[in-house]
Amino acid sequence: MVLISLVRDYIGRMLQDIPGMKVLILDSQTVSIVSVAYSQSELLKKEVFLVELVDSMSKETMSHLKAVYFLRPSNENIQKLRRQLANPRFGEYHLFFSNILKITQIQVLADSDEQEVVHQIQEFFADFCAIDPFHFTLNIPMHHIYMLPTVVDPPSSQSFCDRAVDGIAGVFLALKRRPVIRYQRTSDIAKRIAQETAKLMYEQESGLFDFRRTEFSPLLLVIDRRDDPVTPLLNQWTYQAMVHELIGIEDNKVDLRNIGKVSKDQQEVVLSSEQDNFFKANMYENFGDLGMNIKTMVDEFQQVAKSNQNIQTIDDMAKFVDNYPEYRKMQGNVSKHVTMVTEMSRIVDERKLMTVSQTEQELACNGGQAAAFEAVTNLLNNEAISDVDRLRLVMLYALRYEKESPVQLMQLFNKLASCSAKYKPGLVQFLLKQAGVDRRTGDLYGNRDLLNIARNMARGLKGVENVYTQHQPLLFQTMESIIKGRLREVDYPFIGNHFQQGRPQDVVIFIVGGTTYEEARTVALHNASNSGTRFILGGTAVLNSRRFLRDLEEAQAISRKSNAI
Amino acid sequence: MSTRNRTPLYRKYRDALRSVRVPVASSLPSSSSAASSGGRAGPVIEMVSTSLLHPARSYAPLSTEDPSNSSPAHLTVSLPPAWVDLSEEISVNMQHARKKMSDLVKAHEKDLMPSFGDGKEDQHAIEVLTHDITYLLKKSEKQLMKISSSAPSGDSNIRKNVQRSLATDLQNLSMELRKKQSLYLKRLREQKEGQDGFDLNMNMNGNRPTMEDDEFDDIGFSEHQMSQLEKNEAFTREREREIAQVVESVNELAQIMKDLSVLVIDQGTIIDRIDHNIQNVASSVEKGYKELHKVLSLCLRRKNTKKRRNGYVCDSSCHNVLHYAGPPNTKGITLLINTNTNWNKSSGRGRYSVAGLFRGNPCILFFFNDLPCVFTYSLYFIPSFLWN
Repeated sequence: MVLISLVRDYIGRMLQDIPGMKVLILDSQTVSIVSVAYSQSELLKKEVFLVELVDSMSKETMSHLKAVYFLRPSNENIQKLRRQLANPRFGEYHLFFSNILKITQIQVLADSDEQEVVHQIQEFFADFCAIDPFHFTLNIPMHHIYMLPTVVDPPSSQSFCDRAVDGIAGVFLALKRRPVIRYQRTSDIAKRIAQETAKLMYEQESGLFDFRRTEFSPLLLVIDRRDDPVTPLLNQWTYQAMVHELIGIEDNKVDLRNIGKVSKDQQEVVLSSEQDNFFKANMYENFGDLGMNIKTMVDEFQQVAKSNQNIQTIDDMAKFVDNYPEYRKMQGNVSKHVTMVTEMSRIVDERKLMTVSQTEQELACNGGQAAAFEAVTNLLNNEAISDVDRLRLVMLYALRYEKESPVQLMQLFNKLASCSAKYKPGLVQFLLKQAGVDRRTGDLYGNRDLLNIARNMARGLKGVENVYTQHQPLLFQTMESIIKGRLREVDYPFIGNHFQQGRPQDVVIFIVGGTTYEEARTVALHNASNSGTRFILGGTAVLNSRRFLRDLEEAQAISRKSNAI
Repeated sequence: MSTRNRTPLYRKYRDALRSVRVPVASSLPSSSSAASSGGRAGPVIEMVSTSLLHPARSYAPLSTEDPSNSSPAHLTVSLPPAWVDLSEEISVNMQHARKKMSDLVKAHEKDLMPSFGDGKEDQHAIEVLTHDITYLLKKSEKQLMKISSSAPSGDSNIRKNVQRSLATDLQNLSMELRKKQSLYLKRLREQKEGQDGFDLNMNMNGNRPTMEDDEFDDIGFSEHQMSQLEKNEAFTREREREIAQVVESVNELAQIMKDLSVLVIDQGTIIDRIDHNIQNVASSVEKGYKELHKVLSLCLRRKNTKKRRNGYVCDSSCHNVLHYAGPPNTKGITLLINTNTNWNKSSGRGRYSVAGLFRGNPCILFFFNDLPCVFTYSLYFIPSFLWN
């Protein structure tokens, strides 16, 4: 509830002290921020009867309404506000910004407010999209820029970093804490973001961040996606992660319009753990258990439906009318989940994902280079496997067996080039350049130090419960190290002269390059086990394999262009 | 969660800038005010808050000659549209209904308690209250429907949202009332059976059991028993009538609920998402834009075929459509002002203008939002006799 309730509190406070009919004006980013935390019906309860975008060029004057603006403090927004203040459409203007305003921006606004319609300007630091209680994202566009060195496109890099710093600052201002900052040594962009955040929190706005100091300072850890490129490439089998991987979740909404034939009212659905109890209970369950639970739910619903059809007395009728709203809600919920699972089953069958995923998990978790090579070759030869799955397999193989037997690796590249028309092997090499074994800090495959090797062997001997969900993201090991206070300073140094005494109780992990729902699941399951340390995960976006590959492609295209120049 | 208030700093800048600006404004006295504030003479009533439920606020008359007012051309605050009054009325009605419902609950309690009297006043009170509440709810529902049926204008979104919010409240109220009524019904029935059972006991205890002495029944009933029986029957009839009434009101309310359920948003569905609702507005606007392009391209195609005659214009005005749209009139409709001077001379018309040819017919394009990038529009065919 942590992140979502923070955003809800902010929005509630914005609206509660302003009586009368209101209109809420948002920009394209704050729309996401508000939509995941607040529903339309809740806004109506607060007497907000219209929601508009700040870009909307409507000229209608409605002076009986009070305008509440909630915008990011960007220069474009300030310019748009200027124009609107010069010709006010509403009776009163209450401006709220999601992050720190510059003095010049305040002056510009004061200058254009000739009619003195602005009643208040406040900074409410809800600058992050709280999709789950312990998971936030920033939805940064032009995402691939983090893979390229700064010199390629300095202004884009700068705006990327600025947005990341703003988002992190927003989280800590909302939590009212000031953290100790650590970053991943091998990543330049992580270092840059960490340093700029430290400058903001400790030098530029130290007054704003000067909160009551607790015994254990919280920890902010900034790491790079490329340290664990395996997790976004894998196919997922737990509900929330699977939906995102196969179909795609955007701000807790799923768009089913392009996927097969669905009924009209199920074309776009909401998957939110706050509003949907079934989803909350099942979002981290694997596909098999999920199927069973859905069947139970459908059976229950059929019982209720049957009893509803059996109306004989006035009493029954009255009871039916009484329970009708709940019945309708239940019906909507059941059909939503059934549609979702049906679609996913269809896609799994179509793309033969069971076989593909088995090999993927083997590549990610277990050893055996020869067997792996054989499996991948077989699947590449298999006509039924789609191009993107073939590419993923080769990538996973390359990431693992980069150094062993380069000849066989070349064979795979050639095979991939011949089979798939769309994808070029250059992409795999680009991935290796970005995230190869030389660039990684963490022990992705558990084969670097003796302890990890032993652990892996023990696991292999014990066998796994479910071969499809045996992968554990690298994040899990990082989290364990933090809990035990054993995060190596060589790999993850502190910023400046920060120092952490003891073990932190609150940790925010920020992954530059995006998080995945599998990692969010790891975090949520850990938090549920009440171990004393609470983790919050955030990133610049939420990845699935499609997005990650797209980032790689775009970064590759740009780096080719800049190399040519 | 921390926030920071920048209002004091903002006010400081605003005041500082105002003192820089005012000397410039005051040097242009009535001449500018006449031009800039045209049509805004006279006292202006400003509605500070339109809520009838906040009696503390009042209507404050605001004079335009107020010298302390920083800007001479003060914004004309227009009265809110009529449907706002309707929505206020509905809220007030619902408040009354709520109050009456708590009275009804008390009356139910009183009636269910065993009493010496006939209880007829209690029942009458309950009847009256129930009838009043149902009437209030029905009236509110009718008014709610009226909100949407008034002339469509730009604030249709707001009206729809106000309707939704009121419909949700109304539905909750109806459900509450029905629950209370069915509870009352249930307890009434229990009482009735209890009473009958009690009577049965009395019969069994006090006198010979009727089952075994059937043949003695005719002679058996004493005077006391007869009157008792009659009283019970009358009592039963009364209760039956009450139950029937309650059932009837239950059905009425069910009807209201059915009508309202169309308006109410289902929580947790896509319709309840703010970004979805914003997108819907944007997509309909976009569709209008696409249609407009189609029309204009058609106009362009006829550029060489039709000469300028009888004031009909061709492609040049189509370009002008995109760039020069006039300010909205009082109805919020923007009429296109053609800047082609030749045409103005030939037709002699000032306000209306033919925007182009569409399938050979003259047409007027109305613009509701007049800006170069986004418009909605409607095509309106006028008969040719209007054009001389």
